[in-house]
Amino acid sequence: MKLLERLAKIDRRIIFLLVGLAAIIPLLIPIGLPVDITKPVQNVYDTIESLPEGSIVVVSVDYDPGSEAELYPATLAFIEHCFRRNLRVYMMGLWPAGIALGNDAFAEIAPKYNKEYGVDYINIGYKPGGPVMLLTLGRSVADIVNADYAGTPIDSFPLGRAVKTARDMSVVMTFSAGDPGILHWIIYFNARFGNVICGSTTAISAPRQYQYLASGQLIGLLGGLKGAAEYETLVDRKDRAIAGMDSQSIVHVLLVIFIIIGNIILLSERRKK
Amino acid sequence: MLTSVGIWIAALLTLAIYSFLYKDNPIYKVAEHIFVGVSAGYWAVVLWSNYAWPNLFEPLVRQGNLLFIIPIIIGLMMFAPFIPKVSWLVRIPLTFTMGVSMALVIIQTVQGEILPQVRATFLPLVGVPLFQMVSNLLIILGVIFTLIFFYFSKPHKGALGIAAKIGIWFMMVSFGASFGYTIMARISLLIGRMYFLLHDWLHLI
Repeated sequence: MKLLERLAKIDRRIIFLLVGLAAIIPLLIPIGLPVDITKPVQNVYDTIESLPEGSIVVVSVDYDPGSEAELYPATLAFIEHCFRRNLRVYMMGLWPAGIALGNDAFAEIAPKYNKEYGVDYINIGYKPGGPVMLLTLGRSVADIVNADYAGTPIDSFPLGRAVKTARDMSVVMTFSAGDPGILHWIIYFNARFGNVICGSTTAISAPRQYQYLASGQLIGLLGGLKGAAEYETLVDRKDRAIAGMDSQSIVHVLLVIFIIIGNIILLSERRKK
Repeated sequence: MLTSVGIWIAALLTLAIYSFLYKDNPIYKVAEHIFVGVSAGYWAVVLWSNYAWPNLFEPLVRQGNLLFIIPIIIGLMMFAPFIPKVSWLVRIPLTFTMGVSMALVIIQTVQGEILPQVRATFLPLVGVPLFQMVSNLLIILGVIFTLIFFYFSKPHKGALGIAAKIGIWFMMVSFGASFGYTIMARISLLIGRMYFLLHDWLHLI
């Protein structure tokens, strides 16, 4: 009983310290816990695998550095998969800060596959306007895009000239941290033009997307860092998402233990009263 | 060189923010104020360079399209409440915005959300594998019982009360899943920061 009373009054900083250690130690000393592949992630992979070479994949970087930890690893793994399959990547963003992150991802992956800017990949930059912009983009890209992110005329790039309407976009992959993001692509773009939409969201947003997976409006989903780790496993790219999975699992176990102890303390206090 | 300076600044600011976990302190306050100031400046530039300049001032100033004076006037009416005598003018831009937004949202919500989601509940219960049948049945029952919970025209008593309670259980499962995912997201952010400190800053991994 004394132990429970002591635990009830434990300094919360000790809990912070334990959680911190549980996150840091597995990063320093990896355990290599297995990463199982779930169906929504497999669906994204299969969709990309099914595309013929040269197909155009729209990558919408709809997040900012606040969600970088969860979505950037997925962005890297996805772009690597596209380049490995010789697909062309047409990048844009519904969040202004996403554009720089998208360029970082290109800088990291494109040289590995000798991909050329404007031919194999392009970044058309931040596109404000939410639903109106997406509906116009699908109807006529020229009404929305006249230059790339750096202000170079879009017609000076072969890939820029190749995308005229939604019909030229084989798949849309959105990396989404909120609004505007994946819901706009599903509710507006998919509903109006019928394009295949895949997504990668922060873990908080992931449960909301399952209804769209069930209805077929969303074909595949990478949910949070776990989804990114699964994709890294599928494309055989052992990077930061897989590295973080050991920490994620151990912290989760620790939190489950805390929840159980907290409930035991609560029940024992209720019984006393 | 610039990258290293950036990494050092980011690392020190990360530690400054985490110092709040021990207790509130001046270093945390400095980092917090830097964040607020940088964010405000950043968004001011984003709004000017992505919204105001290309969509409004560039066509007006560079192309001499005088029609763009109309949206400027309508936009300025948003500030009308600051002058009590003409505060009613704010209704004009608000009505315009509401009209356009509602037209967009109503059409697309019906087309992109309500109809496909209702269609997704028309699921087969026979002629499918057992697991699929149970899964489909749970979705159908979950939708029906949850909708019953939100039916407020009759008191939740008797059969309606039992159905509403079952609806609550379905929602509880949904909230539990969301809470689990929320914890996962927060831990992922912590891991991301730790990865940055250990990999990009200290080069330990």
